[in-house]
Amino acid sequence: MPAEPADPVVRARPFNSLLVLGAIGVALLVAGPWVFDTYLLNILIKAFFFAIAAITVDVLWGYTGYLTFGQSAFFGIGAYAAGLVFTHVGFSTFTVLLAIGATVLASAAVAGLVGWLSFYRGASPFFATVISLVLPIVLTQLLLSGGSFTGSSSGLTGYQSFDWSLEAWYWVAGAMLAVAGAIGWVLVRSDAGRVLAAIRDNEVRCTYLGIDTSRVKIALLTAMGVMAGIAGFGYGAFSGVVAPELTGFALGTELIIWVALGGRGTLWGPLAGGVLINVATAYLSSSMPFAWQLILGGAFVVVIVLFPQGLIPLLLKPFGVLQGATRMPQLQERPGSTDGQATDAVAIRLQGVTKHFGSLKVLQGIDFEARAGELVGLIGPNGAGKTTLMRCMSDGAERSGGTVELCGSDIRQLPPEACVRLGLGRKFQNANIFESLTVAECLRIAGTRLERPSLLHQDPVLRLPPYALHVVRATALEGKLATVARDLSHGEQQALELAMVLALEPRVVLLDEPTAGLTKTERTQIGEVLSSLAHRYGLCCLLVEHDLDFVELISTRIVVLHQGAIAMQGSFQEMVNSPLVKTIYSGSTHAMKEGS
Amino acid sequence: MVLLLDLLTTAAMLFVVTAGLMMVFGVMKIVNFAHGALLTLGGYASYVVTRLQMDPWLAWPLAIVVGIAVGMLVEGLIVRPLYKRPLDAILATWGLGIVIGQLIVMGFGREVQFVSAPLSGTWQVAGVDYSAYRLVLVPVAIVLCLALTGLLNGTRFGVRTRAVIMNEDLASSLGIHSGRVRFITFSLGAGLGTLAGAMITPLSSVDPNMGLPWLVSAFMLVMVSGHSMASLLLTCVVFGAAQVLVSTYASPVLGGLTIAVLAAVTLRIRPKGFARG
Repeated sequence: MPAEPADPVVRARPFNSLLVLGAIGVALLVAGPWVFDTYLLNILIKAFFFAIAAITVDVLWGYTGYLTFGQSAFFGIGAYAAGLVFTHVGFSTFTVLLAIGATVLASAAVAGLVGWLSFYRGASPFFATVISLVLPIVLTQLLLSGGSFTGSSSGLTGYQSFDWSLEAWYWVAGAMLAVAGAIGWVLVRSDAGRVLAAIRDNEVRCTYLGIDTSRVKIALLTAMGVMAGIAGFGYGAFSGVVAPELTGFALGTELIIWVALGGRGTLWGPLAGGVLINVATAYLSSSMPFAWQLILGGAFVVVIVLFPQGLIPLLLKPFGVLQGATRMPQLQERPGSTDGQATDAVAIRLQGVTKHFGSLKVLQGIDFEARAGELVGLIGPNGAGKTTLMRCMSDGAERSGGTVELCGSDIRQLPPEACVRLGLGRKFQNANIFESLTVAECLRIAGTRLERPSLLHQDPVLRLPPYALHVVRATALEGKLATVARDLSHGEQQALELAMVLALEPRVVLLDEPTAGLTKTERTQIGEVLSSLAHRYGLCCLLVEHDLDFVELISTRIVVLHQGAIAMQGSFQEMVNSPLVKTIYSGSTHAMKEGS
Repeated sequence: MVLLLDLLTTAAMLFVVTAGLMMVFGVMKIVNFAHGALLTLGGYASYVVTRLQMDPWLAWPLAIVVGIAVGMLVEGLIVRPLYKRPLDAILATWGLGIVIGQLIVMGFGREVQFVSAPLSGTWQVAGVDYSAYRLVLVPVAIVLCLALTGLLNGTRFGVRTRAVIMNEDLASSLGIHSGRVRFITFSLGAGLGTLAGAMITPLSSVDPNMGLPWLVSAFMLVMVSGHSMASLLLTCVVFGAAQVLVSTYASPVLGGLTIAVLAAVTLRIRPKGFARG
């Protein structure tokens, strides 16, 4: 897909149609009591509360990629907080506050615990999903065994609650839904919301940009848990009945179905899906109780397999409502980042680093140090352990023995995001970027560590350190800031990743074959950039490379790695003339010539 | 003594239920959330046998046939298009579980049903009378474990399967039809799932949601145990023991939650589970 033209007229239209849709929604909310009958009002009030929970599922799943069956648990916690407090303590202003406080605290505590169980280094997204399925099951069982306190399987009923008319409830529920939708909308459109999408796209890259993804996800789950809990509180207070089903996995599944059919990752899709399906269920489940569930289940499977984007976006697509407005931020040099720390301090030091997989020794006794301003070329035949060495430098959990110091601090067993905070930047062998985000968004996320992204708005200015700016300007990226990264060419993606790594303002840059698959011109450009990084800005660059001509051109020192050990270090000339290196490569000189 | 037998037979039940999922998820890395519905389907297969007043042993082969047939259908229609989208595969198979559940409700009703066991009465073991059918499950589980281990490690099919898991592109370029390997494994796993459903129903009852509690436990056990059948058997013994002990000395409700909670904590502390620790 070509880049959308940045023509303001083109972008204004979808914004208007969104406004129109929003206006219709608000009008329905205000006029509801005069338009709908009592039965429908009842249904709609409950549907509004459920739709709030659906929005939280969408933020977690559609935007952040955490598929959860467990949001019903938080809804149930809120509902039971209302039911339990109003039944056992009574109803007064004080108890209302008590119940709301209990909802918030309990939801946050449970969400924190579930988050701790689900999100940690190396946890698969699948594992988090299974945990989210365990949560409602555990909670339901606890409620069932709660005896007369929780009302067991029949739940609690007949407690006193707000003495409001149906109309008032409709407006309250509608307002709560509108507020929840607005909160979600502001969040996902903000710069912080882009971080969520980045986590969904590529969690590994996020950690190597210094973002503690586990903490972000736990915080998000806590916020969304509280939101679902408050919706549940509203439901419990309105309906006057709470039952264990409200916490169950069945409701959790229904929430997912509403989001999937409504359109994940759109907010208004799940909102509309939640309300419409609830209303339809209320009318149809009496006339065709089993068939309706069957149709819903079948539709769900079909949508997941064939239309993963959901039904409502599919229906609205022809009207062009969906193209979000992408703003082109202004590029600016980040102040205070040019001080090159003009020292030749040791930037990275390895002592006795070893790595073995079982009995297979991949690295043994690596002693190595590199200073600021150096550009070290790391070469060696395939299987010498070059990439493994880079991994050991950037993730404390990788090596089997020895110490690694980054800018004077021992990295111990620290995860990549902590190594990044110590001053590390790592560029992977294959372009490792955020596929569904634009170039500008990718670059902004790379700066998350240095500039806390706003939860409320999009920054119109994109600040980058001078060398990252240089990469963006030297390559064609400057004109493609609004292009989605997936649509870039291979070389542009490589350049983008390099710019992202540099936006971190690292002291040590690890580059794994930065020129692989690039054209001659692109290679020259990258070479110039790397030289200026080391010589002008005093960064320490470590470069794994097969292209010896390229290495000769830019590196200040060569390290030859062979069978997991450092075979020699020195200048390029020393290396070329070394009999040892000739022996090492003698088996593969032929292959090397072909490769370069 | 009764406690020990409870423990062994519970472990055997867990293994029987989990083995099919192990084939599909543990070995092939295909997420199949319809496994619970397959268990239910197997339960209803044995219910049909009971209703038709046939020999209860017939429930087992019938369940396998139904399971393999359903598995073949599901693999082609739902699982295959979603190989590259694992989270969506969870949802689609889960949705399929809902559809199967609703079809069962429409066909058999919501109520809880009972089936007759192929073996009734008790056997005496070390001076204790114990349900014969439960005891039979222990050798069944061991035989199943040996047979599946043999299949995966000792046959040409097993070698191909492992080749596909390790490096699908390479396997394909060596002439292994990876799609077919997946198809066969999935169908086999589905068949094992329904067989398990038929095996466990005489011990409990049949209802349209009977598979769900097993589903979560089964996934947890497979994740904890890694990828070999033998370690799965060991995991089933350990976690089954924990479940029995908690049910006996604390409360059955807590016992029902033991496996899920314990496995979650185990995986949090040792992310790689038992096998590769």
